[in-house]
Amino acid sequence: MEKKTLRRIKRHDRIAAFGIRGTGVLVIAGVILILLLIGREALPLFSSPTATLEQRVALPDGLTADAVLAVGVDEYLQQAYVVDRQGRFIFFRLADQQVVSRLSAQSGVDDDVLTQVEPVSQYRYALHWRSGRISLQRVRFVQHYNEQGQRVSSVFLDQEASFAPVDALPNRTVVARSDQGSTRVSLLPGQTLDIEQQVTEEDFLGNETTQSYRSVLEQVHPDALTVLKLDHGGRTLYAATRSGGLLRWDLSEPGVPRLLDKVQAFDDHRAITALTLLIGDQSLAVGDETGLISVWFPVPTEEGPGSKRLGLIHALSVHDAPVEQLVPSSRNRTVLSLDDNGVAHLDYSTSERHLLTLVEKEPFTLAALSVRGDALLGLQRDGAVGLWRIDCPHPEAGFKALFGKIWYESYQEPQWVWQSSAASDEFEAKLSLVPLIFGTLKGTFYAMIFAIPLALLGAVYTSQFGSVRLREVVKPAVEIMAAVPSVIIGFLAALWFAPLLERSFPGFVLTLVLVPLLFVLLLLVWSSLRQRPWARYVERGHEFLVLAPLLVLALAMALQLGPWLENGLFGGDFKLWLFQQAGVRYDARNSIVIAFALGFAVIPIIFTMAEDALSNVPGSLKAASLALGASRWQTVWRVVLPSASPGIFAAIMIGLGRAVGETMIVLMATGNTPIMDWSMFNGMRPLSANIAVEIPEAPHGDTLYRVLFLSAVLLFVMTFVLNTVAEIVRQRLRRKYGRF
Amino acid sequence: MKTFISRGEPQVWLTAAALTTTLLMGLTLIVVVMINGLGAFWPSRLVELELQGGQKVLGELLRREPLPDHSGMRQQFKVGNRDLYGMDFRWVDEKQVIGRQWPQQAITVERSEYGHFFGFLKQVVVPQPEQVFDAGDSPWQQLASARKAVAALQDKLDEVMSQINSVNYALEKEQDRLLRFDYQGVSGEDPQRLAVKAEIESLKAEFAQLVRQQRQQQGQLTGYYAQFEDVNGRTKRIELDGIVRCYPSNELSLVGRCGIYASKLWELLSGEPRESNTEGGLFPAIFGTVLLVFVMSLFSFPLGVIAAVYLREYAGDGLMVRLVRIAVNNLAGIPSIVYGIFGLGFFVYGIGSGIDQLFFPERLPTPTFGTGGLLWASLTLALLTVPVVIVTTEEALGAIPGGIREGSLALGSTRFQTLTRILLPMASPGIMTGLILSMARAAGEVAPLMITGVVKLAPALPLDGQFPFFHLERKFMHLGFHIYDIGFQSPNVEAARPMVFVTTLLLVLIVLLMSGVAIRLRNRMKKKYTFGTF
Repeated sequence: MEKKTLRRIKRHDRIAAFGIRGTGVLVIAGVILILLLIGREALPLFSSPTATLEQRVALPDGLTADAVLAVGVDEYLQQAYVVDRQGRFIFFRLADQQVVSRLSAQSGVDDDVLTQVEPVSQYRYALHWRSGRISLQRVRFVQHYNEQGQRVSSVFLDQEASFAPVDALPNRTVVARSDQGSTRVSLLPGQTLDIEQQVTEEDFLGNETTQSYRSVLEQVHPDALTVLKLDHGGRTLYAATRSGGLLRWDLSEPGVPRLLDKVQAFDDHRAITALTLLIGDQSLAVGDETGLISVWFPVPTEEGPGSKRLGLIHALSVHDAPVEQLVPSSRNRTVLSLDDNGVAHLDYSTSERHLLTLVEKEPFTLAALSVRGDALLGLQRDGAVGLWRIDCPHPEAGFKALFGKIWYESYQEPQWVWQSSAASDEFEAKLSLVPLIFGTLKGTFYAMIFAIPLALLGAVYTSQFGSVRLREVVKPAVEIMAAVPSVIIGFLAALWFAPLLERSFPGFVLTLVLVPLLFVLLLLVWSSLRQRPWARYVERGHEFLVLAPLLVLALAMALQLGPWLENGLFGGDFKLWLFQQAGVRYDARNSIVIAFALGFAVIPIIFTMAEDALSNVPGSLKAASLALGASRWQTVWRVVLPSASPGIFAAIMIGLGRAVGETMIVLMATGNTPIMDWSMFNGMRPLSANIAVEIPEAPHGDTLYRVLFLSAVLLFVMTFVLNTVAEIVRQRLRRKYGRF
Repeated sequence: MKTFISRGEPQVWLTAAALTTTLLMGLTLIVVVMINGLGAFWPSRLVELELQGGQKVLGELLRREPLPDHSGMRQQFKVGNRDLYGMDFRWVDEKQVIGRQWPQQAITVERSEYGHFFGFLKQVVVPQPEQVFDAGDSPWQQLASARKAVAALQDKLDEVMSQINSVNYALEKEQDRLLRFDYQGVSGEDPQRLAVKAEIESLKAEFAQLVRQQRQQQGQLTGYYAQFEDVNGRTKRIELDGIVRCYPSNELSLVGRCGIYASKLWELLSGEPRESNTEGGLFPAIFGTVLLVFVMSLFSFPLGVIAAVYLREYAGDGLMVRLVRIAVNNLAGIPSIVYGIFGLGFFVYGIGSGIDQLFFPERLPTPTFGTGGLLWASLTLALLTVPVVIVTTEEALGAIPGGIREGSLALGSTRFQTLTRILLPMASPGIMTGLILSMARAAGEVAPLMITGVVKLAPALPLDGQFPFFHLERKFMHLGFHIYDIGFQSPNVEAARPMVFVTTLLLVLIVLLMSGVAIRLRNRMKKKYTFGTF
């Protein structure tokens, strides 16, 4: 051969070998890549939050930390503002410390100074003046774009309400304002509460009338009250005492305050030092002198419908010193707490996750959270203002939230709940994966108890007893069954089988009785018929010729007799009977439907693999057993099955894997309700269907998006374990018997 | 009897019963799909019922079942006329029926909106009757000739519509270019930019002109209509261009019925869907499925075959190869929804968004490749089906006796030559089997597609006459998703039933045919090597 050709050939060979090896390695890398990528999307759910100091500037106008009563920051983290004792709101740029504007709030009294500023909600402050007046101020940032397309923001300071001083000198006053009016509650000496409510009503002509109601509650508690808190609408009043008491009043009827709760929150009579309401105005965050932050909300009691009592729901982190200040996030159920030592904690209420602790050399005296919850503005004792960027994209996730029982607002007890979205912003996402994992297990369980016996027995018959011709027909037929798209199985199960089952459930129950009955009858008759020549033909692997008509007959009889049974036993309506007798609701798309449909999808897989394993048992074993006088069943039971058992085990594992991951069937044929109930008359929501249902609504990078990726990882791991076990067993077998 | 039991014969019968049950279940599925699917298009006869109280019902009998309180039987009719009655279906208690007949003049009208109309033809109105009708035509003949005239007009209208579409497309392209200029900061005075602007203006003018033309032609069409009457005497005017098909159901001969059936079947295979997918054709879905499977094979076939060749012919038999086998078999066992979510995270949000930022930054935030589309769905499915190809190819290569390999090498050929000249040709039936099986799997898979680009109604096919002809970023329709969508998301599930069953039948046929062929091929090959001469 010419040398050139030879070289070319050799070169080709090398290139090909390289390419082929590369592709092979690529495939392996692909498997690993899939897991890694899915895992990477889910991982941020568990990452611990961080806070990084972005800017630290001195207070403007030479103010000292003592002179500042409140701090805040705009949505884009460009401008911060402080409120000083003169009622001035000083806005300054964080980047260069330049003062942008100074807006003053006034009480109407000359030379009045502020004694206290209480943040009511984001950008809203109750200003307490020394004259006893209180004004509600709101900071408003308006963003617009100038001609160069740059964002410019201008600030406004609106006075939303003003409250005249009370006659006596109050210890404490809280105010609230809503569209319907305003509320002021003052704590007078002697634990007396002075409540003033102004209700604005609009008649049909559009004229507004304002009515004022006043009520006085004397000696509400033997111990001194330390903190008062009104919700945003001014409808509920909370108070805490020096000895650990919590009180709650309903103020929704003006002039008629109703005491709802008077609980001793802590048995050790510790003083409660701070109160705040989390978003949604349901959860009350409580800070006390031991440094514990706890969350309370009304829980339904057994006393009767509508009766609720404050209960301790979540115990969050513990400070080393008494809690000074609690700041709720306006975005989620995060609460920021400051203690006496100037240490800040961030906790997430629902998942009881302690997000981070911020300890600085210079202690914090005041702190605020940004609107988006992505930054913390803190005033330090040395008169510097710092902006910490908080990187905590998924506070509501975490191991406990995803897998533990969580006590959600307006629930009676801690529960595993999946409810990812609702109409309102104040909704807390309930992202427990437990009901979904339960759904997966339940669906798989029902499918497998239906599929395993049928598939294995069928495989035994086909490989051991059936005639050769039968085998040649049955195997391809079952393989074709395996090829039926799951969307078709799911569709038929949901729109054809489920209604049929619902209409004639007693008939199906009857089948369970009739089929064995007829089967036993057949065997009785058969044992006397089997000496006939045609019967011998049937017994040489054609038993199904007799059985098929029998089964069809049994089913037809059962369906015909079903209504009669329903009238006789179940009083004419099975579903009603079931509900009255057993208290079980019958869902049209229930676990029985799933058992059939998912079973239908799994049977061919188990069947094919089990059949392979059984027919690969060396013929010599079988022949030896038969030669020793064992009957064909004895041979199969004692010789063939034991030696094929690893293969059968692998078949079941693969079938399990398929049932766990099947999506379309369960999506279509279950009600997709994430309930935890083993009842076979109810549906379920498995992990796989949940992904299909929720992913179109999950924004990229959102918590829900990542949780769905996490459930994909779970599915991956489940099937990975099952498949790997099966594969290892199979490889062992392959080495034992040479081929499989 | 005693020996019968002691020898374990009842157990054998039990296994036989299990097999029979399994096969009967498979058979039931096929039969149910066949009966419901094949029967869906058969034009059934219209029955007129007279009820107590003088009310009449005209419709197709669908089914009969016991009343909920078991006091008698009831029948379900498809009564059509959704615009008159508000619903298409009606249950009638048999006790209320006093008269039953099959009127000869009853007509079924399939409309492009509001579903079927069942009733009687009263009068046909056209702008110039003398040009369209012959003297002495019956209303039915008049209707036929008027519809012919309308069809001619409609053809012209369709032509205008297609022109409008292509002008629209060109306009979009030019506007994209303008957007790109803006993005690149090209000044308003740039000659290229001015040219594009001028082009846009002229296209807009052309567009307006075409729209005027279309309006005018549509105006001509409205002059053609027919007056119908329902069974209770309510009149209904139906524009002729809104009639898809109409026939006198009770007068039709068997041949006529077959003709209607064939025409519906043809519409199914070639037409566009109507009425939120519950009527009309499946062409976009069939086309989308085929294209998806095709693009998927382009990726999965070479990759799978090469990987299998590596595993069987190049890699040694160490721990590594065992690990790879486990990996491949695992890949085959991963739930399809996991592939789907991987496709979404990796292809759509990962690669797709990257492509958008690199090549189509001017269109952002509107995504081009950064959203589900045919390409991403195909790639996802390719990943899903690669293991199928690998496993079957490996099996096929493994079945070739080692002597053949050694013979080839002994004659001096390289490994690559042995592979391409000897092994691959011999294994080709097995490789084909793998390909067909993977195609069948891809055709029936829905879950991963749902999140990587399938839609219920795609505005345009992924392949058309507009440059660059092949629009891989477009969303597409798919038969399997079609079943899920119209069976479960449709506003009128009962009316969608026939269509779901027909789609199901079509998909079952496609998938079963493909897997049947693949299984046959494989079994033949197995025989060849098991009982062959070498």
